Amino acid sequence: MLFPTIDFGLFFAFSFILVWGLNPYNTVKKYVLLGLSLAFYASWNWRFMLLLLASGAISYLVGLYVDAAAQRPFRRVALGVGVALDLGILAYFKYLDFFIAQALNLAHMLGFDLPLGFVNVTLPVAISFLTFHAISYVVDVYRGRLAASRSPLDVVLYVSFFPHLVAGPIVRAHVFLPQLATPPRAGDFSFGENMLLILGGLFKKMVIANYLAVRFVDPVFTDPSQFSRFDLIMAVYAYAVQIYADFSAYTDIAIGVAALLGYHFPQNFNQPYRALGIGDFWRRWHMTLSSWLRDYLYIPLGGNRHGALATARNLMITMLLGGLWHGANWTFLIWGAMHGCALVLDHAWRRSAAFARWGEGPVARVVDWALTFNFVCLTWLFFRAPSLEAVGQFLGGVWTDNGAASTMPAVVLPLIACGALTQIAPSRARAAIGVVLDNRGAFASAAVGFVLLYAIVVMAPSAAAPFIYFQF
Amino acid sequence: MAEPRAKPPSSTSPWAWLRILYAVLALTVFAFPGGMVDWLDERNASGWLTAPLAVARGIDAASAAVGVKGVGQQLRGWFAAAIGDGDT
Repeated sequence: MLFPTIDFGLFFAFSFILVWGLNPYNTVKKYVLLGLSLAFYASWNWRFMLLLLASGAISYLVGLYVDAAAQRPFRRVALGVGVALDLGILAYFKYLDFFIAQALNLAHMLGFDLPLGFVNVTLPVAISFLTFHAISYVVDVYRGRLAASRSPLDVVLYVSFFPHLVAGPIVRAHVFLPQLATPPRAGDFSFGENMLLILGGLFKKMVIANYLAVRFVDPVFTDPSQFSRFDLIMAVYAYAVQIYADFSAYTDIAIGVAALLGYHFPQNFNQPYRALGIGDFWRRWHMTLSSWLRDYLYIPLGGNRHGALATARNLMITMLLGGLWHGANWTFLIWGAMHGCALVLDHAWRRSAAFARWGEGPVARVVDWALTFNFVCLTWLFFRAPSLEAVGQFLGGVWTDNGAASTMPAVVLPLIACGALTQIAPSRARAAIGVVLDNRGAFASAAVGFVLLYAIVVMAPSAAAPFIYFQF
Repeated sequence: MAEPRAKPPSSTSPWAWLRILYAVLALTVFAFPGGMVDWLDERNASGWLTAPLAVARGIDAASAAVGVKGVGQQLRGWFAAAIGDGDT
């Protein structure tokens, strides 16, 4: 049940009535929200609902044990066991076959056979995001950032709440759990702004991302040898726009849906292709993952507290694991390594005397932006290609032009321009228009909502590509 | 100093939100009824959606009778042709 479908439209319309109807009865409402979240998850595979419940139960029990208020022995061990269980579930479903394949390859190269077989399990939807939420909860309790919840319902609902369940944003426990304590008030949210957020997300996914994927990017990456050098280069830029439109659309809709149910989610994207430097890029792209990696991996590793070499090592480890999180494939590891190296250089450059002297001028800023944007686009090639061989084939096509004429559809450039617009539009415009709609009354909101949705349906292609981050 | 303006009821009541939300969804279904008919039809193998399917077909007929469905189809066809997307 993905967001831009009739299934989800009906599901949300039904959920909306139930949730607000039960708002005065907070505990009953939370049970209903949990039921809705389980039903949402069961629409992919009902068997994995147990995984969801198990993850919530582990978090709840470990959280109770390691609660900072209690001076219990082996708190650290209990935390370690909890995190290991969460990571163990993730490793089993997502990485075991990858590591078995590497072990078999290594053994074959060394000339002996290992008695290992692949487990071939179905990857449960949302397992990565589930793990992030579960770890966030137990570590925050351990650090004393929040008290362990005495309510198993709250903890299970936190890890399974359907708007963030499949592809984020990653909502920290200390942000979400206090919101469950009392019934939300509609007056704390702008209907107009969140309606525009959802409709903007639908436009980015159904029009920009789907057309770019179906009409250009997917065919080029399926068989790069059939396309000209120009097409190959343009496909990388088109993919940069596609992945932004696709992923930011999902989280925009998630944030909007959660707000219309009365819950605040954090922002996940802030015009990332405007970034000046890779460090800035990661403060704007998938912000909830970046801050999660910073708080639960980079800083515990030592962060930047132990000198330049240790900082570089910590950045590399963080980005390599960030790459591996996206999938068990060498392409993701190399993508992470490229970003790690770039972050190390960026870190050093911004602390250098040369940067203090020349780095802030207008020309330097333009160069900074161009280098950052093009580097990020180059790394997307590794992210999108199915294998390292495919990357080699793609780069080979760019290096030795096959002389074919460009077959890039005319619609690609306007779509890329639309993507560029999303990066330069004033970030407060949506909130301002939302307030105007709220003040104009229900009729104005309904009229604007209908006209925008009508336009999206008119423009949307009949063929659609799945959400990219759905697979992670 | 001026008093801050109170928010109008349409922005603070979830039931006002509900009316807007349902109005937008209902108007969209009326404008493009084919999607809902197909969606229900695909899920009606055991016949348990016969009643809603009949309603959706009624909406489809009404939308076609007043010309709303045709406008939507025409606009989709025009947009698809304009951007060279033959299969939309």
